[in-house]
Amino acid sequence: MTTFTEPMRALTLRLDDELFAIRAESVREILDLVPVTEVPNSTPFAFGLINVRGRVVPLANLKVAFGMAEVEPDQDTRIVVIETEIDQEPTVVGIVADKVYDVTDIEPAAIEEAPRVGMRWRPDYVRGIGKRRGDFIIIPDMQRIFEIEGRRSGTSTAEERAAS
Amino acid sequence: MTKTILTIDDSASIRQMVAMTLKGAGLNVLEAGNGLEGYNTATTQTVHAVVTDLNMPVMNGLEFLKKFRQHPAGKGIPVILLTTESDEELKRQARESGATGWIVKPFKQDQLLAVIKKVTGA
Amino acid sequence: MSNDPAETFRQEARELLEQLEQGLLDLEHNPADDDLVNAVFRALHTIKGSGAMFGFTDVASFVHEFETAFDKVRKGLSPITPELIAVALDAKDHVHALIEAPDSADGAGEPILAALRGIVEGDSFPDAPMIDPAPAAGVPLEPTGRWRIRFRLPADALVHGTNPMLLLGEIADLGPCEVTALVDAVPGLDVIDPESCLIGWQVDLTHADPVAALDDVFLFLKDGMELSIEPLAIATMSEPELPPAAEAILDILAEEVEALAVVADVPAPKAAKPSKEPREATVAKSETASTSMRVPAERLDELMDKVGELVIAQARLSQLAALSADGNLKTVAEELERLSSGLRDTTMGIRMVPIGTIFSRFRRLVHDLSRELDKEIEFITTGEETELDKTMIERLADPLVHLIRNSVDHGLESAEQRIKAGKSAKGTVRISAVYAGAEVAISVTDDGAGLNAARIRAKAEEQGLITPETRIADQDLYYMIFAPGFSTAKEVTSLSGRGVGMDVVKRTIDGLRGKIELTTRPGEGTTFTLRLPLTLAIVEGMLIRVGNGRYSIPLSAVEECVELPASVATHSRGRNFLDIRGSLVPFLRLRDLFNTPGEPDAHQKVVIISSGEGRAGLVVDQIIGNNQTVIKQLSHLHSGIETFSGATILGDGAVALILDTSRLVSYGQAYEEKFRNESGRAAA
Repeated sequence: MTTFTEPMRALTLRLDDELFAIRAESVREILDLVPVTEVPNSTPFAFGLINVRGRVVPLANLKVAFGMAEVEPDQDTRIVVIETEIDQEPTVVGIVADKVYDVTDIEPAAIEEAPRVGMRWRPDYVRGIGKRRGDFIIIPDMQRIFEIEGRRSGTSTAEERAAS
Repeated sequence: MTKTILTIDDSASIRQMVAMTLKGAGLNVLEAGNGLEGYNTATTQTVHAVVTDLNMPVMNGLEFLKKFRQHPAGKGIPVILLTTESDEELKRQARESGATGWIVKPFKQDQLLAVIKKVTGA
Repeated sequence: MSNDPAETFRQEARELLEQLEQGLLDLEHNPADDDLVNAVFRALHTIKGSGAMFGFTDVASFVHEFETAFDKVRKGLSPITPELIAVALDAKDHVHALIEAPDSADGAGEPILAALRGIVEGDSFPDAPMIDPAPAAGVPLEPTGRWRIRFRLPADALVHGTNPMLLLGEIADLGPCEVTALVDAVPGLDVIDPESCLIGWQVDLTHADPVAALDDVFLFLKDGMELSIEPLAIATMSEPELPPAAEAILDILAEEVEALAVVADVPAPKAAKPSKEPREATVAKSETASTSMRVPAERLDELMDKVGELVIAQARLSQLAALSADGNLKTVAEELERLSSGLRDTTMGIRMVPIGTIFSRFRRLVHDLSRELDKEIEFITTGEETELDKTMIERLADPLVHLIRNSVDHGLESAEQRIKAGKSAKGTVRISAVYAGAEVAISVTDDGAGLNAARIRAKAEEQGLITPETRIADQDLYYMIFAPGFSTAKEVTSLSGRGVGMDVVKRTIDGLRGKIELTTRPGEGTTFTLRLPLTLAIVEGMLIRVGNGRYSIPLSAVEECVELPASVATHSRGRNFLDIRGSLVPFLRLRDLFNTPGEPDAHQKVVIISSGEGRAGLVVDQIIGNNQTVIKQLSHLHSGIETFSGATILGDGAVALILDTSRLVSYGQAYEEKFRNESGRAAA
């Protein structure tokens, strides 16, 4: 895991019943839920596209990476538009969040390494687990998540379907 | 597409002259001897324009015109009246009845062709 | 634009030398073409003149000698031979060196001139008549009057047989004119009487005095109609037909479009707005340089961005106008649509450059390679007119050069080997460019020996990329040539070894967000295909609906649309073919391909698309209509998706995916082949 030497300025958001912290400087903007265009034959992770002021931005479902249940969107649902690296290229993507809290600093002392065993999720997806006001906050490794989840594209299924 | 012109006149020689002129210009020609015959022809066959005399037995030119304009086939088809004099009142009546234009008799062949070209583009 | 006159000359000279080279290469194949000889001569003459003016005296004096020697050729006193062309090309290279790196060129000039003189002094031809190049002729127009004619016909004119088109045609016969329809009296679609003539017309006509002629045009209608004929100077001061704000906008847009056309040297789209002065004299372009301007690429980028945004905003306006009952608003919206379409075409014309500009440079390359390697090569180019973004073309030059060198050096066998293999002694290298949906496909093909799988395998093992036990399909093996450090050249020849390996080619193509594919047949040849996205392209698309999703199909790929016959819709029994005027076209049900839930609409439609030689039908729920799409590339997250080549934003703000037509056609072909094999097996 990466050692945290400085406080992490993070945006806190909730997916299902877990809190996540995203590096604040990677966050471009936060939007209300907008119409989503589904991408046929994509993975559940990279499921959609949205229009952000004339720019086509892919939408990712982080819950897929963490094996979480889907919930109906409500008035708290937001789209957090972040910039991350995919195939070594900086890419703008949106992630759906069930609720967005605030931007806070998480002290390095409060961040612990993710346990190698016994954790619900893939350890390489988690940079660390922080604590904030008594709650555990997962600090995801966005680059790694996108690298692994993004690779599983459904091309062969499309061709198979076409040939059937 | 070759256009078809209907000529209605009780004078066979006029009809013949008109037919010859128009056929010479590559048009098809149908003939009728009075307004009623003309009406029957024009409403049952494809006609791209009508040249009709005014004074005819059974049904004259104006009556033909009014009746023709009421028939679905008659809306929008150019109808040219042959008049013997430049009577303004007559022209007004003709226009009101639905005429597209007129030619004053006696007329030269190229005058006829010019008017046909003007209203049909042929 | 550079402030340094020397730099200006260098840029101009570079272009002229390029023209010179092309001219010389063309001349080799068409020695009897006097126009080419004159073009070469003109280029030399211009370089000499400008060189002298900007202080490049070495250049001027060398070219003078070159010109003198070539003069004999021009007079027909010396024939054009391959030797002459070769020396002339050397001379051109020397001029290039003199301009770019004068120190290195010292002393190289004399031998070239000596060689040139030697060839030219030799034979002499009888005096051949020389064709004088026709000077560019300007055709000034007589200033004539401009008139504004406005007319409205009686409402029953149409029923009474009057055809307004013929009337307008008669007016058009009188002289150049611009026609605008006046639709303010046209009510909404729900109350309109289609038999009534409620449209008026405004015609701006150039004519000395049309009053008498117009009398004749409206001969039968004069009494019942409204007609006004005014000289245009007065007309512009009278009440405008459009609301003033709209006029102002249209004025500005029309000017901008025309100004851009001047910059881009592209004919401006005709604006319906009347111009305030008589048309300027149009002068026929001269054959050499046409007026051009240098514009920083970033400014063009900005412009393209703005045009893209304008197209989207205008689409939204058109949507709103369609819902409104306001006739004037609709008119302005349509006008705006026309102007924005014109703007789009003009700006795309600036930034997009035909790929032929780099193809021509390859002809020289192949020519030189052919001589150096002593291989006879036929070099064929197709699709020179295919346009790409300017920066992309520049970045493609090196990779394509490498691929061509590779084909010639390693792909094509020597003449004896070819003959032994039963091929013609002359090898063929073909380079082609073609649009495929939202991409451009550029291929380099040779009819040489093909890739050697065994050799590649050996090298891959040597490099440690795979172990001897690794099982790998041939196709995947071939792709290993793109791995870094890989090179199967037995020796690094001066031509192909320069640190520019296949891995650099791949990296460059990746950097352009493109893909590189290769197919090879041992003994028959190899084809490399580069697929590159059309950046910032704004093209016409056909919008379709499959389930709840909307998708765009590039209109250039659409051949026609038909209804899916009811019989086929319900029981095709796995035989997904349509009979289109006698030929069987395979079709794909997009609902199935996209895994769309729910039931298909009744009366499904089929859009027949074509790509290259193949066709396929796409079965959709609904064909919505055409629209202009601003092509947006899909991000890396979706780079693996094959059925879509991009996305676009529709008038209502929703995102629609753009179908990759070439991919879909190849699915169709694969299905066809599979079907043929299976039914062949069944019949056997």
